[in-house]
Amino acid sequence: MQPAEAYGERLRRLQALTDSDLARLGVDDLLDVVLERVRDLLSVDTGAVLLLDPSGAYLVATSALGLEEETRQGVRIPVGRGFAGRVAQERRAVTIPEVDHGNVLNPILREKGIRSLLGVPLCVGDDVIGVLHVGTLAPRAFTDDDAELLQLAADRIALATRARMTVAERAAASALQRSLLPGLLPDVPGLEFAARYVPGGGGDVGGDWYDVFALPSGQLCVVVGDVVGRGLPASVAMGRLRSAVRAYALVSEDPAEILRRLDEQVRHFERDVMATVLCAIVDAAQHTVRISSAGHPPPVLAAPGRAGELVEVPTDLPVGLPRPRSRHSVTVDLPVGGGLVLYTDGLVERRTEPRGRGSARAPAGGAGGRGEAVCAGVRGRMWGGDPAADDGALLVGMRTPPAPAGSLRLVEPAVPQSLRVVRHAVRTYLGAVGATAEDVADVVLAVGEAAANVVEHAYGPAGGALEVVLHRDGPRLSITVADTGSWREARGIYRGRGTTMIAALVDDVRIDRDTAGTRVVMTRTIGDERGEDR
Amino acid sequence: MTDAGVASRGADPGRLEIALSGEIDLQNASAVERQLDDLVSNTTESVTIDLTRLTYLDSAGLRVLFGLASRLELLQVHLELRVPRGSVVRRAVEVSGLGEVVAID
Repeated sequence: MQPAEAYGERLRRLQALTDSDLARLGVDDLLDVVLERVRDLLSVDTGAVLLLDPSGAYLVATSALGLEEETRQGVRIPVGRGFAGRVAQERRAVTIPEVDHGNVLNPILREKGIRSLLGVPLCVGDDVIGVLHVGTLAPRAFTDDDAELLQLAADRIALATRARMTVAERAAASALQRSLLPGLLPDVPGLEFAARYVPGGGGDVGGDWYDVFALPSGQLCVVVGDVVGRGLPASVAMGRLRSAVRAYALVSEDPAEILRRLDEQVRHFERDVMATVLCAIVDAAQHTVRISSAGHPPPVLAAPGRAGELVEVPTDLPVGLPRPRSRHSVTVDLPVGGGLVLYTDGLVERRTEPRGRGSARAPAGGAGGRGEAVCAGVRGRMWGGDPAADDGALLVGMRTPPAPAGSLRLVEPAVPQSLRVVRHAVRTYLGAVGATAEDVADVVLAVGEAAANVVEHAYGPAGGALEVVLHRDGPRLSITVADTGSWREARGIYRGRGTTMIAALVDDVRIDRDTAGTRVVMTRTIGDERGEDR
Repeated sequence: MTDAGVASRGADPGRLEIALSGEIDLQNASAVERQLDDLVSNTTESVTIDLTRLTYLDSAGLRVLFGLASRLELLQVHLELRVPRGSVVRRAVEVSGLGEVVAID
């Protein structure tokens, strides 16, 4: 064995290495370099780093020296079993002076002829994230000094590894979240939806979600939920809960029943998952909404010209608690021009104020108006410029005023794909009101140009809505193409031709621009009355 | 997705004839532009584009034709558009002023 002075010298060497050189290495290189150093410092033959997998139940071989087969084969050791499993479970240095079948699970260690082992846990705070162990081909009694030196190396590895896992997890969670939130909200006559998802401070995503989908009966299912927890595990659980709600909504259109089944599903399949969920079934024909809440903050109902009010929903317990509970629902009327605002805690639970006050502020956001505008307004008022502590989802459903008889009203997302939908609807409408082929060609092109302008110029990357209204009064057709964005001039060459073309295609065109958006208002005489003057 | 057909015909490789069909708008204009660019080679002497079977052409599509006209002028390649009177996109071509830079049949 080495004298104590030599160990002191080695500790200093390892510390020096830890502070300067290693900081510049990527995690994989760092693991390799630290393993090499550890081998030289402790005069051992093998070294290995095993990391806990996301389930927390297995250790996976990640880097090895003298045991390369271990990482190639991706050896998995259950926590609590075998040598490495014992180190992880006991959270302390473990040494095996003489290896045998009873105390070592990994066949590679035995096949290599390893006689003695020393292992220490990789700890970050109170969490064990893996195990570092070394072995010798000759029998050896590891000392406390050996264990201390190895623990020093383990702490360095643990910190670097945790930092890498955090970055990777955050990216994965964020990608998952984006993929699961509905891109396009359903288009239902008389209803308009708008939604926002905002990650928490530092770009953290969690288990918040919203969902809107049509059911075979024509009713709509609207859901917001919040899985307790943060990061990738919460996002993954959220994905499964979201799918389960969708499946149960096909079986039952009673929101209390959907949540009862969801609770049953979570209790059976999802250990340690708890979530608050609000489920609403919207009957667009009857203008009613049936709502059930599993521990979720109540929605805000806003009528035009009035401050919004919290809907008195009986708040049942969250899903995922040990025993089944009875669930309730309430049905509310959705007035014309009114809207329902659904949200998650991230929206109201701000660092600086308790939840009660945050919820009480929610109504202020809910004055009647267009869905997108309401959504943007609520979001601005609630989140303000401060980064939210938690992630948050916001969903607004508005009941739009019915179009006057003989009118066409369309609200589509302002994306290129919508242009074709708009043209098709306008063509169909014009055919029905007796427009000539020439009228159809001109009006479709004029509407197409104005709509393409909205798609190209009205909104930033977050997008927005494109509204098209056609109304026929005798031979006079009035056409409005509107957005709620902020106008910017056309960019690039050969641009800006659209407005000139519109002017040539209709009798009259006016462009109203204000802070609420831009409206292109056109009129055109249609039918046989036109004829002669062209 | 907005659908447009871009088909070349004619036996003489120097005299290219391209027939456009379907609809051209903001969504597919750049795809149509790429297909047109691929058809025209540096041995091409003249290009005729037939818009007879096109059912919609907006300013994004017209932008492609303006751009093509300007590049072909530089390459000294003759460009002609076939847009018969009564064809659906005739108005779009007329009101855009495309007729002032390209020969229209």
